[in-house]
Amino acid sequence: MKSFTATDRDRGLRRLRRLTFGAVTGATVAVFGMTYVAAASYAGKASTASTTALSTSGSTATTTSSSPSTDQSATTSATAAPTATTGSSGSGTVTSGGS
Amino acid sequence: MAVASKTWKALGTSVHVLATDPQQLRAAEMAVREVLDDVDAAYSRFRADSELSRLNARGGRTVNVSPLLATAISTALTAASATHGVVDPTIGRAIRIAGYDDDFARIAGDRGPIALRAATVPGWQVVRVDSAAKTVHLPEGVELDLGSTGKALAADLAAHAAHTAMKSGGVLVSLGGDIAVAGDSPEGGWRVLVAEDSAVPPDSDGQVICVGSGGVATSSTTVRRWTRGGTVLHHIIDPKTGLPSSGPWRTVTVVARTCVDANIAATAAIVQGEAAVAWLQARHLPARLVENDGTIHYIGPWPDPDRVAA
Repeated sequence: MKSFTATDRDRGLRRLRRLTFGAVTGATVAVFGMTYVAAASYAGKASTASTTALSTSGSTATTTSSSPSTDQSATTSATAAPTATTGSSGSGTVTSGGS
Repeated sequence: MAVASKTWKALGTSVHVLATDPQQLRAAEMAVREVLDDVDAAYSRFRADSELSRLNARGGRTVNVSPLLATAISTALTAASATHGVVDPTIGRAIRIAGYDDDFARIAGDRGPIALRAATVPGWQVVRVDSAAKTVHLPEGVELDLGSTGKALAADLAAHAAHTAMKSGGVLVSLGGDIAVAGDSPEGGWRVLVAEDSAVPPDSDGQVICVGSGGVATSSTTVRRWTRGGTVLHHIIDPKTGLPSSGPWRTVTVVARTCVDANIAATAAIVQGEAAVAWLQARHLPARLVENDGTIHYIGPWPDPDRVAA
Protein backbone atom coordinates (compact mmCIF):
# COMPACT_ATOMS: atom_id res chain seq x y z
CA MET A 1 0.00 0.00 0.00
CA LYS A 2 1.30 3.44 -0.89
CA SER A 3 2.24 5.58 2.07
CA PHE A 4 0.45 8.86 2.52
CA THR A 5 2.61 11.90 1.93
CA ALA A 6 2.81 14.70 4.45
CA THR A 7 0.49 16.71 2.24
CA ASP A 8 -1.99 13.85 2.18
CA ARG A 9 -1.86 13.57 5.94
CA ASP A 10 -2.32 17.29 6.46
CA ARG A 11 -5.20 17.30 4.09
CA GLY A 12 -6.80 14.34 5.81
CA LEU A 13 -6.38 15.84 9.23
CA ARG A 14 -7.81 19.13 8.08
CA ARG A 15 -10.75 17.31 6.58
CA LEU A 16 -11.29 15.32 9.74
CA ARG A 17 -11.27 18.44 11.85
CA ARG A 18 -13.67 20.24 9.62
CA LEU A 19 -16.06 17.54 8.64
CA THR A 20 -17.80 14.82 10.45
CA PHE A 21 -19.24 12.48 7.98
CA GLY A 22 -22.12 10.47 9.21
CA ALA A 23 -21.82 6.80 8.64
CA VAL A 24 -24.40 4.99 6.66
CA THR A 25 -27.05 4.32 9.20
CA GLY A 26 -28.02 0.97 7.85
CA ALA A 27 -31.40 1.27 9.47
CA THR A 28 -33.66 -1.22 7.83
CA VAL A 29 -37.25 -0.72 6.98
CA ALA A 30 -38.74 -4.05 7.85
CA VAL A 31 -41.48 -4.07 5.26
CA PHE A 32 -39.23 -3.80 2.25
CA GLY A 33 -35.88 -4.67 3.73
CA MET A 34 -34.27 -1.63 2.23
CA THR A 35 -31.86 0.62 3.97
CA TYR A 36 -31.62 4.29 4.64
CA VAL A 37 -29.09 6.12 2.54
CA ALA A 38 -26.33 7.91 4.35
CA ALA A 39 -26.33 11.58 4.82
CA ALA A 40 -23.30 13.50 5.72
CA SER A 41 -23.32 16.00 8.51
CA TYR A 42 -20.86 18.67 9.22
CA ALA A 43 -19.30 19.27 12.58
CA GLY A 44 -21.61 21.12 14.90
CA LYS A 45 -24.62 20.75 12.69
CA ALA A 46 -26.94 17.82 12.71
CA SER A 47 -27.84 16.31 9.43
CA THR A 48 -31.31 17.18 8.29
CA ALA A 49 -31.51 14.95 5.27
CA SER A 50 -30.74 11.53 6.53
CA THR A 51 -33.46 9.38 5.09
CA THR A 52 -34.40 8.45 1.64
CA ALA A 53 -37.70 8.16 -0.10
CA LEU A 54 -36.17 5.20 -1.89
CA SER A 55 -36.22 3.29 1.32
CA THR A 56 -39.53 4.27 2.78
CA SER A 57 -42.68 2.32 2.40
CA GLY A 58 -45.84 3.79 1.04
CA SER A 59 -47.14 4.17 4.54
CA THR A 60 -44.35 6.49 5.58
CA ALA A 61 -43.98 8.40 2.36
CA THR A 62 -47.08 10.42 3.02
CA THR A 63 -47.33 12.60 0.00
CA THR A 64 -51.04 13.02 -0.14
CA SER A 65 -51.71 13.01 -3.83
CA SER A 66 -50.66 10.60 -6.52
CA SER A 67 -51.83 12.92 -9.24
CA PRO A 68 -49.80 15.83 -10.51
CA SER A 69 -49.69 18.62 -7.98
CA THR A 70 -49.93 22.18 -9.08
CA ASP A 71 -50.75 23.83 -5.81
CA GLN A 72 -48.09 26.37 -4.98
CA SER A 73 -49.12 26.16 -1.36
CA ALA A 74 -48.98 22.39 -1.21
CA THR A 75 -47.32 21.24 1.95
CA THR A 76 -45.78 18.00 2.98
CA SER A 77 -45.48 16.34 6.30
CA ALA A 78 -42.15 15.85 7.97
CA THR A 79 -41.94 12.35 6.58
CA ALA A 80 -43.05 13.09 3.06
CA ALA A 81 -40.78 13.27 0.09
CA PRO A 82 -40.31 16.84 -1.06
CA THR A 83 -42.90 17.98 -3.50
CA ALA A 84 -42.40 20.05 -6.59
CA THR A 85 -44.77 22.68 -7.90
CA THR A 86 -45.11 24.54 -11.14
CA GLY A 87 -43.03 27.67 -11.42
CA SER A 88 -42.06 30.27 -13.94
CA SER A 89 -38.66 31.05 -15.33
CA GLY A 90 -36.85 34.10 -14.06
CA SER A 91 -33.72 35.17 -12.30
CA GLY A 92 -32.40 32.51 -9.99
CA THR A 93 -33.54 29.63 -12.17
CA VAL A 94 -31.16 26.72 -12.71
CA THR A 95 -31.35 23.82 -15.14
CA SER A 96 -31.57 20.16 -14.21
CA GLY A 97 -30.50 18.00 -17.10
CA GLY A 98 -28.05 15.38 -18.11
CA SER A 99 -24.37 16.19 -17.99
CA MET B 1 -36.50 38.02 -3.19
CA ALA B 2 -33.34 38.57 -5.21
CA VAL B 3 -31.12 35.52 -5.45
CA ALA B 4 -27.38 35.91 -5.90
CA SER B 5 -25.47 33.35 -7.92
CA LYS B 6 -21.96 32.25 -8.80
CA THR B 7 -20.95 29.86 -11.58
CA TRP B 8 -17.70 28.08 -12.35
CA LYS B 9 -16.33 24.76 -13.62
CA ALA B 10 -15.27 21.86 -11.41
CA LEU B 11 -15.36 18.06 -11.49
CA GLY B 12 -15.60 18.30 -15.27
CA THR B 13 -18.94 20.06 -15.14
CA SER B 14 -20.64 23.35 -14.33
CA VAL B 15 -21.14 24.44 -10.75
CA HIS B 16 -23.90 26.88 -9.81
CA VAL B 17 -24.31 28.23 -6.30
CA LEU B 18 -27.33 30.38 -5.47
CA ALA B 19 -27.92 32.13 -2.16
CA THR B 20 -31.07 33.83 -0.95
CA ASP B 21 -28.95 36.33 0.98
CA PRO B 22 -26.54 37.94 -1.50
CA GLN B 23 -24.20 38.89 1.32
CA GLN B 24 -23.72 35.22 2.12
CA LEU B 25 -22.87 34.13 -1.41
CA ARG B 26 -19.12 34.41 -0.92
CA ALA B 27 -19.20 32.23 2.19
CA ALA B 28 -21.33 29.68 0.37
CA GLU B 29 -19.03 29.68 -2.63
CA MET B 30 -15.92 29.12 -0.53
CA ALA B 31 -17.55 26.23 1.34
CA VAL B 32 -18.65 24.60 -1.91
CA ARG B 33 -15.21 24.99 -3.48
CA GLU B 34 -13.62 23.31 -0.48
CA VAL B 35 -15.98 20.34 -0.61
CA LEU B 36 -15.47 19.92 -4.37
CA ASP B 37 -11.69 20.00 -3.94
CA ASP B 38 -12.01 17.22 -1.38
CA VAL B 39 -14.34 15.24 -3.64
CA ASP B 40 -12.01 15.57 -6.62
CA ALA B 41 -9.07 14.29 -4.59
CA ALA B 42 -11.08 11.48 -3.05
CA TYR B 43 -13.06 9.89 -5.85
CA SER B 44 -12.30 11.27 -9.27
CA ARG B 45 -11.93 8.30 -11.62
CA PHE B 46 -9.83 10.38 -14.00
CA ARG B 47 -7.10 11.50 -11.62
CA ALA B 48 -4.35 8.94 -11.24
CA ASP B 49 -3.59 10.35 -7.81
CA SER B 50 -7.14 10.23 -6.47
CA GLU B 51 -7.87 7.85 -3.64
CA LEU B 52 -10.37 5.99 -5.83
CA SER B 53 -7.81 5.44 -8.60
CA ARG B 54 -5.32 4.10 -6.06
CA LEU B 55 -8.00 1.84 -4.59
CA ASN B 56 -9.01 0.52 -8.02
CA ALA B 57 -5.36 -0.30 -8.72
CA ARG B 58 -5.05 -2.35 -5.52
CA GLY B 59 -7.50 -5.16 -6.08
CA GLY B 60 -7.01 -8.05 -3.71
CA ARG B 61 -5.67 -5.87 -0.90
CA THR B 62 -7.24 -4.02 1.98
CA VAL B 63 -6.76 -0.28 1.59
CA ASN B 64 -7.14 2.56 4.07
CA VAL B 65 -9.47 5.25 2.81
CA SER B 66 -10.43 8.73 3.96
CA PRO B 67 -13.76 9.38 5.69
CA LEU B 68 -15.00 11.05 2.51
CA LEU B 69 -14.21 8.10 0.24
CA ALA B 70 -15.62 5.71 2.83
CA THR B 71 -18.84 7.72 2.84
CA ALA B 72 -18.96 7.83 -0.97
CA ILE B 73 -18.44 4.08 -1.30
CA SER B 74 -20.93 3.30 1.45
CA THR B 75 -23.49 5.52 -0.26
CA ALA B 76 -22.91 3.72 -3.56
CA LEU B 77 -23.31 0.34 -1.87
CA THR B 78 -26.50 1.46 -0.16
CA ALA B 79 -27.81 2.60 -3.53
CA ALA B 80 -27.01 -0.82 -4.94
CA SER B 81 -28.80 -2.51 -2.07
CA ALA B 82 -31.86 -0.26 -2.34
CA THR B 83 -32.13 -0.91 -6.07
CA HIS B 84 -31.26 -4.61 -5.88
CA GLY B 85 -28.15 -4.01 -7.93
CA VAL B 86 -29.72 -1.94 -10.68
CA VAL B 87 -27.37 0.88 -9.71
CA ASP B 88 -24.05 -0.82 -8.97
CA PRO B 89 -20.62 0.76 -8.39
CA THR B 90 -18.73 -2.29 -9.65
CA ILE B 91 -19.31 -1.17 -13.24
CA GLY B 92 -15.90 0.54 -13.19
CA ARG B 93 -14.16 -1.91 -15.50
CA ALA B 94 -17.18 -2.16 -17.82
CA ILE B 95 -17.46 1.56 -18.33
CA ARG B 96 -13.72 1.85 -18.89
CA ILE B 97 -13.78 -0.91 -21.53
CA ALA B 98 -16.75 0.81 -23.17
CA GLY B 99 -14.46 3.75 -23.80
CA TYR B 100 -15.15 6.09 -20.91
CA ASP B 101 -11.62 5.92 -19.62
CA ASP B 102 -10.66 9.57 -19.38
CA ASP B 103 -12.11 12.97 -18.69
CA PHE B 104 -15.14 13.18 -20.95
CA ALA B 105 -13.78 16.10 -22.97
CA ARG B 106 -10.96 13.84 -24.15
CA ILE B 107 -13.01 10.81 -25.23
CA ALA B 108 -15.76 12.44 -27.26
CA GLY B 109 -14.24 11.81 -30.70
CA ASP B 110 -14.51 8.52 -32.60
CA ARG B 111 -11.38 6.49 -31.92
CA GLY B 112 -12.38 3.53 -33.99
CA PRO B 113 -14.14 0.28 -33.13
CA ILE B 114 -13.83 -1.51 -29.81
CA ALA B 115 -14.83 -5.04 -28.88
CA LEU B 116 -17.63 -5.18 -26.31
CA ARG B 117 -18.90 -8.38 -24.78
CA ALA B 118 -21.93 -8.69 -22.56
CA ALA B 119 -20.97 -9.82 -19.08
CA THR B 120 -22.58 -9.22 -15.72
CA VAL B 121 -20.50 -6.91 -13.53
CA PRO B 122 -18.94 -8.42 -10.38
CA GLY B 123 -21.69 -7.01 -8.17
CA TRP B 124 -21.68 -4.66 -5.22
CA GLN B 125 -21.71 -7.56 -2.72
CA VAL B 126 -18.03 -8.28 -3.42
CA VAL B 127 -16.96 -4.92 -1.98
CA ARG B 128 -16.00 -5.12 1.67
CA VAL B 129 -16.09 -1.92 3.70
CA ASP B 130 -15.00 -1.71 7.33
CA SER B 131 -16.60 1.55 8.43
CA ALA B 132 -14.89 1.53 11.82
CA ALA B 133 -11.42 0.86 10.48
CA LYS B 134 -12.04 2.97 7.36
CA THR B 135 -10.77 0.26 5.04
CA VAL B 136 -12.06 -1.09 1.75
CA HIS B 137 -11.23 -4.36 0.04
CA LEU B 138 -11.91 -4.96 -3.64
CA PRO B 139 -11.31 -8.38 -5.18
CA GLU B 140 -8.68 -8.41 -7.88
CA GLY B 141 -10.04 -7.10 -11.17
CA VAL B 142 -12.93 -5.20 -9.59
CA GLU B 143 -13.01 -1.47 -10.23
CA LEU B 144 -15.46 1.02 -8.72
CA ASP B 145 -17.18 3.84 -10.53
CA LEU B 146 -19.14 6.19 -8.28
CA GLY B 147 -20.73 8.11 -11.12
CA SER B 148 -24.30 7.20 -10.19
CA THR B 149 -24.03 8.64 -6.69
CA GLY B 150 -20.78 10.59 -6.38
CA LYS B 151 -21.75 13.86 -8.01
CA ALA B 152 -25.11 13.92 -6.27
CA LEU B 153 -23.46 13.18 -2.94
CA ALA B 154 -21.08 16.04 -3.61
CA ALA B 155 -24.06 18.33 -4.24
CA ASP B 156 -25.68 17.28 -0.96
CA LEU B 157 -22.43 17.74 0.97
CA ALA B 158 -21.70 21.06 -0.67
CA ALA B 159 -25.18 22.41 0.04
CA HIS B 160 -24.93 21.46 3.70
CA ALA B 161 -21.43 22.88 3.98
CA ALA B 162 -22.51 26.11 2.35
CA HIS B 163 -25.55 26.44 4.57
CA THR B 164 -23.37 25.85 7.61
CA ALA B 165 -20.97 28.55 6.48
CA MET B 166 -23.71 31.09 5.85
CA LYS B 167 -25.05 33.31 8.58
CA SER B 168 -28.50 33.56 7.07
CA GLY B 169 -30.70 32.37 4.25
CA GLY B 170 -30.66 29.32 2.09
CA VAL B 171 -28.53 27.90 -0.69
CA LEU B 172 -28.87 25.86 -3.86
CA VAL B 173 -25.95 23.93 -5.31
CA SER B 174 -26.09 22.50 -8.82
CA LEU B 175 -23.36 20.21 -10.11
CA GLY B 176 -24.02 19.56 -13.76
CA GLY B 177 -27.75 19.62 -13.19
CA ASP B 178 -27.73 17.55 -9.99
CA ILE B 179 -29.29 19.93 -7.50
CA ALA B 180 -29.32 20.05 -3.70
CA VAL B 181 -30.80 22.78 -1.53
CA ALA B 182 -30.40 23.62 2.15
CA GLY B 183 -31.91 26.21 4.43
CA ASP B 184 -34.60 28.68 3.51
CA SER B 185 -35.80 28.76 -0.07
CA PRO B 186 -36.96 31.79 -2.01
CA GLU B 187 -40.69 32.47 -1.88
CA GLY B 188 -42.43 29.69 -3.81
CA GLY B 189 -39.32 27.53 -3.83
CA TRP B 190 -36.15 27.22 -5.89
CA ARG B 191 -36.91 27.36 -9.59
CA VAL B 192 -35.56 24.55 -11.72
CA LEU B 193 -35.90 24.27 -15.49
CA VAL B 194 -36.25 20.61 -16.41
CA ALA B 195 -34.32 19.74 -19.55
CA GLU B 196 -32.41 16.88 -21.09
CA ASP B 197 -29.11 18.74 -21.07
CA SER B 198 -27.90 20.71 -18.07
CA ALA B 199 -26.22 23.11 -20.48
CA VAL B 200 -29.61 24.41 -21.63
CA PRO B 201 -29.89 28.05 -20.51
CA PRO B 202 -32.33 28.36 -17.59
CA ASP B 203 -34.43 30.96 -19.41
CA SER B 204 -35.16 28.53 -22.27
CA ASP B 205 -38.58 27.14 -23.04
CA GLY B 206 -39.58 24.18 -20.92
CA GLN B 207 -41.20 23.25 -17.66
CA VAL B 208 -40.01 25.07 -14.56
CA ILE B 209 -40.67 23.36 -11.25
CA CYS B 210 -40.24 24.76 -7.76
CA VAL B 211 -38.74 22.80 -4.88
CA GLY B 212 -38.38 23.94 -1.30
CA SER B 213 -36.14 21.21 0.03
CA GLY B 214 -34.32 18.04 -0.95
CA GLY B 215 -32.82 17.47 -4.36
CA VAL B 216 -33.46 17.17 -8.06
CA ALA B 217 -31.44 15.02 -10.42
CA THR B 218 -31.58 14.11 -14.07
CA SER B 219 -29.97 11.11 -15.71
CA SER B 220 -29.78 11.03 -19.46
CA THR B 221 -28.29 8.92 -22.21
CA THR B 222 -28.34 11.88 -24.59
CA VAL B 223 -25.52 14.03 -23.26
CA ARG B 224 -22.49 12.03 -22.13
CA ARG B 225 -22.16 10.03 -25.34
CA TRP B 226 -19.22 9.01 -27.45
CA THR B 227 -18.67 7.05 -30.66
CA ARG B 228 -16.48 4.05 -31.29
CA GLY B 229 -16.39 2.59 -34.78
CA GLY B 230 -19.60 4.34 -35.64
CA THR B 231 -21.45 2.97 -32.61
CA VAL B 232 -22.83 5.52 -30.19
CA LEU B 233 -22.23 4.66 -26.55
CA HIS B 234 -23.22 6.35 -23.30
CA HIS B 235 -22.28 6.30 -19.64
CA ILE B 236 -25.27 4.59 -18.01
CA ILE B 237 -24.23 0.96 -17.71
CA ASP B 238 -26.66 -1.91 -17.14
CA PRO B 239 -24.96 -4.08 -14.50
CA LYS B 240 -26.61 -7.20 -15.93
CA THR B 241 -24.80 -6.82 -19.25
CA GLY B 242 -21.94 -4.49 -18.49
CA LEU B 243 -23.01 -2.53 -21.56
CA PRO B 244 -24.69 0.86 -21.99
CA SER B 245 -28.36 0.47 -21.12
CA SER B 246 -30.80 0.20 -23.99
CA GLY B 247 -34.20 0.76 -22.41
CA PRO B 248 -37.08 2.96 -23.53
CA TRP B 249 -36.11 6.05 -21.51
CA ARG B 250 -33.47 8.49 -22.69
CA THR B 251 -33.85 10.98 -19.84
CA VAL B 252 -35.33 10.74 -16.35
CA THR B 253 -35.67 13.53 -13.78
CA VAL B 254 -36.61 12.82 -10.15
CA VAL B 255 -37.35 14.99 -7.12
CA ALA B 256 -36.44 13.37 -3.80
CA ARG B 257 -35.46 14.02 -0.23
CA THR B 258 -31.79 14.34 -1.19
CA CYS B 259 -29.93 14.77 -4.44
CA VAL B 260 -28.38 11.34 -3.91
CA ASP B 261 -31.82 9.77 -3.70
CA ALA B 262 -32.96 11.62 -6.78
CA ASN B 263 -29.95 10.53 -8.78
CA ILE B 264 -30.18 6.91 -7.67
CA ALA B 265 -33.83 6.83 -8.71
CA ALA B 266 -33.22 8.58 -12.03
CA THR B 267 -30.38 6.24 -12.99
CA ALA B 268 -32.26 3.17 -11.77
CA ALA B 269 -35.25 4.19 -13.87
CA ILE B 270 -33.19 4.36 -17.06
CA VAL B 271 -31.63 0.97 -16.40
CA GLN B 272 -34.90 -0.69 -15.36
CA GLY B 273 -36.77 0.39 -18.47
CA GLU B 274 -40.52 -0.12 -18.43
CA ALA B 275 -40.45 -1.54 -14.90
CA ALA B 276 -39.33 1.86 -13.66
CA VAL B 277 -42.86 3.27 -13.79
CA ALA B 278 -44.22 0.94 -11.08
CA TRP B 279 -40.95 1.18 -9.14
CA LEU B 280 -41.14 4.98 -8.99
CA GLN B 281 -44.84 4.98 -8.20
CA ALA B 282 -44.32 2.59 -5.30
CA ARG B 283 -41.85 5.06 -3.82
CA HIS B 284 -44.04 8.14 -4.35
CA LEU B 285 -41.23 9.85 -6.19
CA PRO B 286 -42.18 12.68 -8.54
CA ALA B 287 -40.56 11.80 -11.84
CA ARG B 288 -40.47 12.88 -15.46
CA LEU B 289 -39.50 10.23 -18.01
CA VAL B 290 -38.65 10.96 -21.62
CA GLU B 291 -38.96 8.10 -24.09
CA ASN B 292 -36.44 7.64 -26.84
CA ASP B 293 -38.97 9.11 -29.29
CA GLY B 294 -39.43 12.22 -27.13
CA THR B 295 -42.74 11.26 -25.52
CA ILE B 296 -42.85 12.53 -21.94
CA HIS B 297 -44.44 10.68 -19.02
CA TYR B 298 -45.10 12.17 -15.57
CA ILE B 299 -45.05 9.84 -12.58
CA GLY B 300 -46.39 10.37 -9.08
CA PRO B 301 -46.85 13.89 -7.74
CA TRP B 302 -45.00 15.61 -10.56
CA PRO B 303 -46.36 19.12 -11.21
CA ASP B 304 -48.84 19.47 -14.05
CA PRO B 305 -46.78 20.65 -17.04
CA ASP B 306 -49.81 22.41 -18.54
CA ARG B 307 -50.42 24.59 -15.53
CA VAL B 308 -49.14 28.12 -15.80
CA ALA B 309 -47.74 29.45 -12.57
CA ALA B 310 -49.49 32.43 -11.08
